[in-house]
Amino acid sequence: MRLRRFLGTEVPVLLILAFALAPWLWMILSSVRPERDWTTRPLAIMPATLTLSHHIELLQRTTFLQHMLDSLVVAVGAVTAGLLLALPAAYAFSRFRFRGRSTLRISFLIVNMFPVVLLVLPLFILLRQMGLLDTYFALIAGHATFTLPFAVWLLTSYTDSIPVELDEAAMVDGATRVQALRLVVLPLMLPGIVAVALYLFIASWNEYLFALMLAGRDVRTVTVALQMFIGENEMRWGLLTAGGTLVALPAVVLFLFAQKRLVGGLTGGAVKG
Amino acid sequence: MPRDISRRAVIAGALAAAPLAAPRAQRGTMIRWWYHFDNPTATPDALVQRFEQANPGIRIQAERIPWGGGADYDNRLYASVVANNAPDAAMVKLQNLTRLLDMDALAPLDRWVDAWPGRTDIADAMWALHRSPDGKRHYVPVQYVVLYLYCRQDWFTQANLPLPTNFDQFLAAAKALTGGERWGFGMRGGAGGHDHWASFALGGGASFEKGGLVTPQALAANRWFVGLGREHRVFPPSAPADGFRQVIDNMKAGRTAMTIHHVGSATELVGALGDAIIAVPVPRGPGGRGWTAFGDGSNAVFAQGRNQEAAWRWISFLSAGEANVVFNQLSGQLPVTASGQRAWTGHPERFIRASSESVPLMATYPQSPKTTDWTRTVWPQTTQRALLGQTEPDEMMRVFERHFHG
Amino acid sequence: MSQARLRPGSATPWLLLAPALAAVSFIVLLPVAQTVWLSLHRAILTRPRDRPFIGLDNYAALLADPLFWESLRHSLVWVVATVALQFALGFTAALLLNRSFWWRSAARALIVVPWALPSVIIGLTWSWMLDFNLGVANELLLRSGILSESVAWLARPDTAMPAVILALVWQGFPFFAVTLLAGLQAIPAEQYEAATVDGAGSWRCFIHVTLPGLAGVIATTLLLRMIWVANSLDVILVMTGGGPGTATHTLPLYAFLKAWSGLDFGYGSALAVVLTLLLLGVVIAYALRAGERA
Repeated sequence: MRLRRFLGTEVPVLLILAFALAPWLWMILSSVRPERDWTTRPLAIMPATLTLSHHIELLQRTTFLQHMLDSLVVAVGAVTAGLLLALPAAYAFSRFRFRGRSTLRISFLIVNMFPVVLLVLPLFILLRQMGLLDTYFALIAGHATFTLPFAVWLLTSYTDSIPVELDEAAMVDGATRVQALRLVVLPLMLPGIVAVALYLFIASWNEYLFALMLAGRDVRTVTVALQMFIGENEMRWGLLTAGGTLVALPAVVLFLFAQKRLVGGLTGGAVKG
Repeated sequence: MPRDISRRAVIAGALAAAPLAAPRAQRGTMIRWWYHFDNPTATPDALVQRFEQANPGIRIQAERIPWGGGADYDNRLYASVVANNAPDAAMVKLQNLTRLLDMDALAPLDRWVDAWPGRTDIADAMWALHRSPDGKRHYVPVQYVVLYLYCRQDWFTQANLPLPTNFDQFLAAAKALTGGERWGFGMRGGAGGHDHWASFALGGGASFEKGGLVTPQALAANRWFVGLGREHRVFPPSAPADGFRQVIDNMKAGRTAMTIHHVGSATELVGALGDAIIAVPVPRGPGGRGWTAFGDGSNAVFAQGRNQEAAWRWISFLSAGEANVVFNQLSGQLPVTASGQRAWTGHPERFIRASSESVPLMATYPQSPKTTDWTRTVWPQTTQRALLGQTEPDEMMRVFERHFHG
Repeated sequence: MSQARLRPGSATPWLLLAPALAAVSFIVLLPVAQTVWLSLHRAILTRPRDRPFIGLDNYAALLADPLFWESLRHSLVWVVATVALQFALGFTAALLLNRSFWWRSAARALIVVPWALPSVIIGLTWSWMLDFNLGVANELLLRSGILSESVAWLARPDTAMPAVILALVWQGFPFFAVTLLAGLQAIPAEQYEAATVDGAGSWRCFIHVTLPGLAGVIATTLLLRMIWVANSLDVILVMTGGGPGTATHTLPLYAFLKAWSGLDFGYGSALAVVLTLLLLGVVIAYALRAGERA
């Protein structure tokens, strides 16, 4: 029994994780390799000598950690704003039928069909006129609104998979619509909310174009900071790989805690599928 | 900003500052200056301090902008001009010149330059290369590099080959040194590689004047260059996609015998190869013509700024005397001042010598708004196709001719 | 149809939607409208005074532009291959991570690593791994005897597109893993129990319980991901810049290069609008097929 589970579940998971982590592990290996060893041939997979000099330089001689913090503030802000805006909208789309619903859902999505690279210039001018350049607000607003249609669609589909009969049962029992939402629907939506929150976090965390154009001095995110290690004539691989190692960690740690919510809502996580 | 809030803020600020205010004749001007250095730990703080001490009343706010292959820096610059948010001064390159002039973004500097004692410390030839098409001066050079040919001296000695001074010697050496896992020339086919192509195509007789890219001589020179890759196979197979990182790494890893770059990479190469690496000016074409790219770097003052004279003082400070030397120690390039060049020890001597010997061959690309699009997109795409055999070399030149001259 | 839903004329849904609509309209709609307007002009960024209205000329030029059609072809291949592979891998991961094993939490957390990395890191790392001279991919393939000589993955038109697809599949499959995993939680255990009581094995459980329960989330995530991948250009830009030649030119990349390299915002905007219209067509087709869900 255990062997079956090992072979049927844990081995495939290991394989998929190996694929997911291999490039990152390669980056970690490179970040502890002294610089001269990167271009020696034949290529040594395992470093012959280890060094922490790149990490030390990254943490002590650059302002990288500060920028991780900036990114964190913006990402948390974008997640909060995004969820606050998207949850009521998703509930409306899922639980109500009204004229124009379908058209509205689709036009909502048009915004995301546009390549953002062409929208950044008008947005830049708009924010400049409002005096909001280089503020946390500018980035949070930019990130939250550009991820909003996706978030709304995703949350709507999660809400759709919760049978509306549950709302009705609660309301028949005397609950108002708001209470039904709070006590019945929301708890069941928790897995979906976690997924959407992670999506919003990562979308904001990885975002470069707005961070480059709309901010940069007072607010510099980690994606912009990493670009500083790429110059005209020089690419600081040590700092890039050390930075690349660190930059993935916040999302991983956050999801480590949040994924506890990804258990079956109705019966509490029995083995499925 | 709503007017009543700003009035309130001013009054509040004045009241708050009153007891603390030391008697001061002027409020002081703030100059925003944009820069980019390769070394992420190099900052201009020391230079800013020195300048502010010598110029009380002017404060410099130096902002580092990501280079992003040039595209990110340029895009931010143009976007800021369009949005009326341009800095007072910024590091710029000749590739930005016509575009900035088109936008009326730059302030002419002639009246200040003409009266500047530091002007004579920069060679006339250098000034001439930076003059704008309308005859005025908008750029003040602050750093430069010139491209030369790196060679694996040890392989040349082993194979009893002379370091190439002309195309024929170059071809012979490249062929002789290709074999096994080695290739004669590390050609850069990705964005930025136009400098390699130019030394051979323009050195071989092509020119950017109207019709100059499709003369029989020009076509022959280009065919010769593409032939290096397709017939003689002296380029590594990765050449169409190689950027500066790859060509330097290939040299360091002992895969290529020659490549073209500049002093910016000298220290790195010496670190990996020691005395085996040497540089000479790029080979000259038939008729003794030589052409090598000039890696320029200047500062300019923006017309939107309200303190242009203060901005001028900052950028002229950076291009004079000891400040220019310190600046180039930060940027990793060469000082533009004659005095700075004489005393320069920032790079191993043989590379500085190769740079000075290359100065007579130094030239720039056409001052046209189409040039940046050519260097960034048209050249890489078309050349890659030619190297892969998807396009004929002659067609490649015709595409370039059409791009520049319609 | 149940009573809770049929409330024609109620203002409640609009009130709930108002904040989201307001945010989007204010910040996004204006730039979109401006871009569409720009596509009807000849607009070179550095010539702000020379902006004649040229109607649909940009669009006419576009249809006659062979590089547009080539970019469109590449985009189709790009989107279909990337999304299909991301989905396959992500769905498998979601099903596996839904099962119980002692290190499940760690596995779930670690699977998001590819997704959590910025595009510049992804582009650089994959470029480096696939490097002709110093890449670990060539090294391992040579050592294991699969290849007899190094391959310049990013310099050959036949391997460049698969290479960027691989990088994107790697980056994006955790999206499906997480969103589908969340969707799996909404399937009540009773349905599985009922099916097992009826004698269904795990494959039939999958077909008759899991898939129908997940259908809505699957359809939505596929649609959203398709739109996202169709518009993405960061990783390709870093890895190949659209090359070699134009082998990895996709529509958004072409629009980007036209606008920011050639500074031709009129033409670039027209390309962006065409991409949007094509995606809109797909979404409308999906909505019509899906119909109004009860």
